[in-house]
Amino acid sequence: MTAVLDARGIVMTFRNGDEFTRVLLGVDVTLDPGELVALLGASGSGKSTLLSIVGLLLRPTAGIITIGGERVDTLSDTKSSLFRNKRLGFIFQFHNLLPDFTALENVSFPAAAAGGGITSAIRQRASELLARVGLSDRMNFPAARLSGGQKQRVAIARALMNHPELVLADEPTGSLDRASADQVLALMREINREDGTTFLICTHDEQVASRCTRRITLVDGQFDSGMRNKTN
Amino acid sequence: MFAFLVARRYLRSNPWQTALLIAGVALGVTAFVFITALIQGLAVRLTDDVTAKSAHVSLEPADRVARVLPGSDYDTESVALVSMLQRKQIRTWAATVALLESQAEVTAISPQITGSAVLVRGEAAAPVAVTASDPKNLDAISPVSREIIVGDARLNANGILIGVRLAETIGLSVGQPVLFRTDRGVDRLLVVEGIFRSGIQSLDERAAYVSLETARPLFLLPSGVTNIEIKLKDTGQARAFANFVSGATGLRATPWQDRNSSLADALTAQGQTGTLIQIFSLISVLIGIASALSLSANRRRSEIGIMRAFGVSRLFIASVFVMQGLLIGIVGASLGCLAGYGLCSWLATFTKPDGALALPIAPAEGGYALVFLLTTAGAVLASVIPARSAARLDALEAIQQ
Repeated sequence: MTAVLDARGIVMTFRNGDEFTRVLLGVDVTLDPGELVALLGASGSGKSTLLSIVGLLLRPTAGIITIGGERVDTLSDTKSSLFRNKRLGFIFQFHNLLPDFTALENVSFPAAAAGGGITSAIRQRASELLARVGLSDRMNFPAARLSGGQKQRVAIARALMNHPELVLADEPTGSLDRASADQVLALMREINREDGTTFLICTHDEQVASRCTRRITLVDGQFDSGMRNKTN
Repeated sequence: MFAFLVARRYLRSNPWQTALLIAGVALGVTAFVFITALIQGLAVRLTDDVTAKSAHVSLEPADRVARVLPGSDYDTESVALVSMLQRKQIRTWAATVALLESQAEVTAISPQITGSAVLVRGEAAAPVAVTASDPKNLDAISPVSREIIVGDARLNANGILIGVRLAETIGLSVGQPVLFRTDRGVDRLLVVEGIFRSGIQSLDERAAYVSLETARPLFLLPSGVTNIEIKLKDTGQARAFANFVSGATGLRATPWQDRNSSLADALTAQGQTGTLIQIFSLISVLIGIASALSLSANRRRSEIGIMRAFGVSRLFIASVFVMQGLLIGIVGASLGCLAGYGLCSWLATFTKPDGALALPIAPAEGGYALVFLLTTAGAVLASVIPARSAARLDALEAIQQ
């Protein structure tokens, strides 16, 4: 079985003038299809950096990254964009939606921007996804008027728009109240369970991590341990 | 096109800023249209003022130059000698007139004898520039009849028309005789038939009109004429027509522009000044668009970061900003053209007591197509800088802000 993500020897060093800061010190990580993995770590441990590298938003100083069997760390900027669009999904903590667009348009955006507009097929798919995240009555609501929990659910629908192999979530419940956070997490678990979509969730919330199938913890740029949680 | 939809949405999301931006563009375009219409109107008025009372092309005998005649015997050369004592005149004027009459662009032809004379009344004398033409063609070149203020424009064998200031200078009125002495030394008593006021001081002081038949014995030209004056449908074609007729007849043909070189210089200077003002108007418009879109790109950094994260290409992001520039350019230029036309049309309703426009403005000559194209293309160009900076944004950096 091909791993969804196989990252080997990831090193990331930032340079600030004459100073070099090593954030990741040779990280290895593999995600199998259908996993729901929590990436834990203290602030500054390098977890967001790792997520950005896996999401092709940041090029590692060293290391090899393979996603779905395709080596991606050497892709050009244009090809990286295309890869992110077609095969990865993103959920962020803040600034997640485009406020001037409706929920439906936000969900359609990744496909529409790549394909030349919101076709009826794209609209159909976006409508189905919004219905799935429980927002069929908010399709034509401007994103700016949605609540925090609703925005994150729209973001999940958008991340799934192009049938990604891997969804990367950076503190997806970090800005939500407990009830909304639970809803969002339950939704991601449901999608993971029913569709087999692989999730890598960067979080510092133990409650979120405890509901994932596996947790990995970064300490000072290296994995502390890797263990598989019991699935609920 | 999805980029177009996104651009339109961005503009509509901030209606006040967009309205101000479009108003700024429209204002610049209005200024451009106004300046263009004013300069064109002024040029037309000045040109009309000059060409309305003068010929568009004047034909005169060519300069006399001795020339080598072509021949088969190269041992000797034949030279055509010219006499500087001979009177310069157009002897074959009838044939030239026939040629001119066959040309569609010609609207009026007036074969004339022009010369100098002195009007003598008692001890008073005044020099005059005499124009003699067929009485039927009196108004062909200059509307003399309409300028008559006393008497009428009849030109019989003994009649003469003089300007109002000349009449005042030597105390002449209609019906009075005056001694007419030409530069050929011929005298004749003529009767003042009419007094005109052209509004041009030099004409009112110095000009006099007689019939062609009256002038022939006075200027010793029993059959020829000194010049043929021509009016054309299009004054702008005068130079081309002069070249044509000069080649066809061998006569020296002078377009009106050459006789009014100072006017041509003034029009050129005026046009250049107008162009400078137009360029500055456009530059201010383009700077406004570029700065507004740069601010917009900066304000939307996080959104651009999100787009980049889910794989929207740099080209798409750049095209969203270029589309915004295009939309602003099209809408602003359209509104500016409409406002400019409205302003010019309104200004063109103001007239002076004599019926002339208070402001010599030509609303139809506002350069609308040019300013529309320049503004739209310029707006697209102005949007390239913010578009490039938006497209180059680092997604991660933008998201983390």
